Amino acid sequence: MALLELEEVRAGYGPTSVLHGVSLSVPEGQIVSLLGANGAGKTTTLRSITGGVQWTGDIRFAGRSLRRMHTEDVVRCGIAHVPEGRGILTELTVDENLKLGSHLRRDGAAVRKDYDRVFEYFPVLRERRRLSASTLSGGEQQMLALARAFLTKPRLMLLDEPSLGLAPLIVRSIFEIIRTINTEDQVAVLLVEQNARLALEMSSEAYVLEVGRVAVRGSSSELTGNDAVRRSYLGY
Amino acid sequence: MQELLQQVVSGIATGGIFASLALALVLIYNAMGLVNFAQGEMAMLATFVALALIDHGMNYWIAFPVTLVIAFAGGIAIERVVIRPVERAPILTLVIVTLGLATLINGLAGFIFGYVPRAFPSPFPVQTVNILGALASYQDLGVIAVSAVVLLAIYLLLQHTTVGLTMRAAAHHPEASRLLGVRVSWMLALGWGLASAVGSVSGIMVAPILLLQPNMMQTIIIYAFAAAVLGGIESPIGAVVGGVIVGVTVNLAGVYLPFVGGDLQLAVALAIIVGVLVLKPNGLFGRPSVRRV
Ligand SMILES: Nc1ncnc2c1ncn2[C@@H]1O[C@H](COP(=O)(O)OP(=O)(O)OP(=O)(O)O)[C@@H](O)[C@H]1O
Ligand SMILES: [Mg+2]
Repeated sequence: MALLELEEVRAGYGPTSVLHGVSLSVPEGQIVSLLGANGAGKTTTLRSITGGVQWTGDIRFAGRSLRRMHTEDVVRCGIAHVPEGRGILTELTVDENLKLGSHLRRDGAAVRKDYDRVFEYFPVLRERRRLSASTLSGGEQQMLALARAFLTKPRLMLLDEPSLGLAPLIVRSIFEIIRTINTEDQVAVLLVEQNARLALEMSSEAYVLEVGRVAVRGSSSELTGNDAVRRSYLGY
Repeated sequence: MQELLQQVVSGIATGGIFASLALALVLIYNAMGLVNFAQGEMAMLATFVALALIDHGMNYWIAFPVTLVIAFAGGIAIERVVIRPVERAPILTLVIVTLGLATLINGLAGFIFGYVPRAFPSPFPVQTVNILGALASYQDLGVIAVSAVVLLAIYLLLQHTTVGLTMRAAAHHPEASRLLGVRVSWMLALGWGLASAVGSVSGIMVAPILLLQPNMMQTIIIYAFAAAVLGGIESPIGAVVGGVIVGVTVNLAGVYLPFVGGDLQLAVALAIIVGVLVLKPNGLFGRPSVRRV
């Protein structure tokens, strides 16, 4: 049984429907990428999972239906959602943002170890601990968002375009760390990306959304090798 | 010079009273972008509760924290029952709801306790003490001390506890906070509870001076508005500094400007509100852009 399963999920904003029956699954400990053009419904899919939009169909996490659950209860089940725009609380300091990641945990010793790891992954966050998060650059904010997600000790991370607006070198190092977190802690990842090439390198499986429907599903190597799919959906 | 110093000390005491109520306004403003016009009436009701406790023989210093706890619970109850159903309504709807709430509480207090002003005990002796040649009353010093302790406690709670952190997070970024597991709706309720408790300190401190009756807070709330606006309506520290500045200014104006006297002091507060809104709309500590959270 997969860790996360979406079954015929339909969702939208008021009268506009955006998802027209999306089914996908993320196995335990795997990275799955969700690709698609602008407006295909990738962000809406992630928002459905954490209850940010109304949806029908079924979404199950670790065997339990998330129907009618509030966002804060969904994430407390072990899902860390780094939203589009990163969700940094710019009125607060870097440290306070990190604390919001770990504030629900009761395993104090493990939390301290995880902070050490976070600062090892992203030394710049340790240097800027006391500064307002608004002073961070885009890349540093993405690091903070990822670090904060990691500190919630999730079983699944939903990452919405972590590469957006960042220099290639920074994107590389951030993706390295996503992979490290995935392999060392068996954290599953549902990775939304416009940069298909990069996402396919990372993931074992991929889905391509087209106007609210899954157009293609397959192993990442399959999709990378399939010229037709590459040209028509992935744009490279 | 001595006289001036005395008036300043007395102004700081008055300012502490304004500051508590102003801080209450700021707490709710921060939580939901709403000016709570019922804040003064909630404080007045809490003060009646305190008087009832004291009249039943409870020691002042026990009745005081007990009242704060009751006010806290009352604030949460008001948020859950009255505000929650209209939480997502336009801001004007919410403002009107708080105005209605003010009228309701005022009428309720009048109905239950009547409109005859009642003496309210002060725990501080009436004597004065000589500080650096100026005579300060124990009453003023006591009010300053109590206000300072309460304001400091709120500061520590907001800045140095996890629940304070989640309250601030929920106030500024409700969506992002939800994604981190913060129960935003409860944080709102907690904000109302805290505001209600802090505001009631203002009522309890002013009651020995003004006498307790249902309309007691109606001028104090204007001074508190002035303090909050002066400090920058989003800033807790601003509310405190603003409260002290307004207290001292109003006091000095009353004494030294012959045409102001006792009657026009409220006009001084209104002048401060208008002046700040025209000259420095974000107040002393406010951030430039005002936005609805
Ligand atoms: N808050 C909203 N209200 C109304 N419509 C919305 C809202 N957010 C998104 N949409 C619409 O839903 C559709 C899907 O949007 P979504 O953000 O899920 O796409 P996406 O795949 O994440 O795109 P992008 O790559 O640009 O981030 C778009 O047509 C968009 O205009
Ligand atoms: Mg998107």
